[in-house]
Amino acid sequence: MALLEISNLEAFYGKARSLHGVSLNIEPGKIVAIIGPNGAGKSTLLDSIMGITTTTGSVKFDGQEIRAQSPALNVKAGIGYAPERGNLFPFMGVKDNLLVGAYTSRDKIDENLRMVFDLFPVLEQRQTQETGTQSGGERQMVSLGRALMTSPKLLLVDEPTIGLAPKVCLDIAAALKKLNEETGLTIVITEQNVNFAMSLAQELHVLETGELRLSGTVDELQGEDYIKQAYFGA
Amino acid sequence: MTHIIIQGLLLSGLYALIAVGFTMIFSVGRVLNLAYGVYIMLGGYIYFQCVQVWHLPKAVGFVMAVAAGVAFAVATYQLLVRRLENNPVAVEISTLILAVVMQALIVMIYGAASRTMWPLVNGVWRIEGVAVTYNILIATVASWFILGGLMWFVHKTHLGRAIMAVSMDRKGAMVSGIDPRRISLITWAISGGLGAIAGVFFATYTQLDPSMWVGPLIIAVAVVVIGGIGSIVGSLIVAHLIGFMETITTSLLAAELRGVFTMLLIIIVLIVTPKGLFGREEL
Repeated sequence: MALLEISNLEAFYGKARSLHGVSLNIEPGKIVAIIGPNGAGKSTLLDSIMGITTTTGSVKFDGQEIRAQSPALNVKAGIGYAPERGNLFPFMGVKDNLLVGAYTSRDKIDENLRMVFDLFPVLEQRQTQETGTQSGGERQMVSLGRALMTSPKLLLVDEPTIGLAPKVCLDIAAALKKLNEETGLTIVITEQNVNFAMSLAQELHVLETGELRLSGTVDELQGEDYIKQAYFGA
Repeated sequence: MTHIIIQGLLLSGLYALIAVGFTMIFSVGRVLNLAYGVYIMLGGYIYFQCVQVWHLPKAVGFVMAVAAGVAFAVATYQLLVRRLENNPVAVEISTLILAVVMQALIVMIYGAASRTMWPLVNGVWRIEGVAVTYNILIATVASWFILGGLMWFVHKTHLGRAIMAVSMDRKGAMVSGIDPRRISLITWAISGGLGAIAGVFFATYTQLDPSMWVGPLIIAVAVVVIGGIGSIVGSLIVAHLIGFMETITTSLLAAELRGVFTMLLIIIVLIVTPKGLFGREEL
C-alpha cells in the first residue's frame, strides 16, 4: 500500500486554482522528487499535503484521509515538512528551533536531537546561535533538523538546494540519502535543480503549471526528449 | 534622589506587569487589543466585590479576579477576535468598543464615583526617609516574581516556546505541529490573567474608577510602540524607562506633566526607529 495517495488534488488561493487534478502515489521507503520550473505549483503541492492551503480531492496518508486535517494533526500523524524558505524562528537559537519541532514528539527528544546532530555536526557546535544570523546552508540544516524532530514517517522537503553553494547541496543530498538508507524514511523533495533531483531520487514527477506532465523512474525519464529539451537544453 | 530611585523601581515593576500581557497578544496575533485595560478594571472590581462587599478572604478575591480576567479574555478571543483575525483594524475598533461597553456596565453596577481599595497589606516601611507602603512593595515584588516566572515559562517550556514560535513565524510553527489558534487562545488567557493581577495591584496603588482601564492601556501601548514587537525583555526595559521618566517628571517638574513625556517619546520613536528600541519588525 502506498504511504501517501493523492487523487485529483486541486488547490486554491482565493478563487485562483493553482493545482489541477494532481494524482500520485508515494511508496514507503522511497525518495521521490517533484521537479518543475518556478511557479509550477511544487510548494503549493507540499503545502496542500500539509493542510496549509484550501484544497479539493483526496490525500490519504497511511490509509487515512487527511485532506481536510489541520497541519498540526498532520505533523502528529507523521508528516514532517521543511518548507522552501525554512520558516525558522530567527530570534531563537538552533537548539530552541529544534525543540519547537519536538512539540508533538516530546518522548523522543534526546534520540531525535542525537540523530540531527549526527547528521549535521555543525548544528551541535552552534546550538545557541540565533538562526537569523546563520548562513543559508546552516538554516537549511536547521529546517531539516526541525522537521526530523517531529519523528516523521514521511519527510517533505521543499527546494532544499535553492540559493545554496554546490558543496552545501552535496552535503544536504548526502544527509537525505543517509536518512533514507539507514532509517527507511520516505522522502519527497521538490526541485528546480534536475541534476540534484536525479542524483538523489529513485522516482521523478514533472509538475508544470499545476499539472503532472510526466512520471517515472530516473532511468525512464533520463531518456525522455521532453526532459532533455526542457531541463538540459539539449 | 533615593526617593526617585525607590518610587521609580516600584512604579516600573507595576508598569511592566501591566504591559507584558498586552505585548504578548501583540507579538502573537499582531493586533492591538484595546480591551486589555478591561482585564485590569475587572481585576480591580472583582477583587473589590469579593473582599470589600462580600468580605471573602483576600486570597479568594485574588483568585476570583484572575479567573474573571482569564474568562473575559478567552471570551473576547473566541467570540470576537477569532472571527475578525484577518482584519486587525476591525479587531482594534471592536475591542475599543467592548472596553467602552464594559465601562458603562461598571458604571451601572458600581456608579461613576471612585472607590478606595483596601491595601493588600497594611503598614509602611521607611527607607532613607522615604515612606514605602507594604502594599506597593508587595505589588512590585510580586510583579517581578510573576515576570520572572513568565520569562522562565516562555523560554524553558514547550508551550512557552510554541508561543514564541507563533510570534516569530506562523507557518514555521504550523509545520512544527503547533496549532496557532490554540496558542493564540492560551496567550489571550495568560494576558487576561496577568491584566487582572495588575488590576488588583494598580487599584490598591491608585483607586477604583470606571475609567481606570484607560491609563494602563496607554502605558501598555507606549511600551509596545517604544519597545517594539517580539521582545519581552525589551518590554520590561521600556516599562522601567517609562516608570522612571514619570517618577522624575512628577518629582522634579509637575505631576500634571506625568504622561506627556511618554507621549512625546512614542512620537520620537515612531519617527526615528519605527521598529521600536528593541523590536524585530516594523510596527
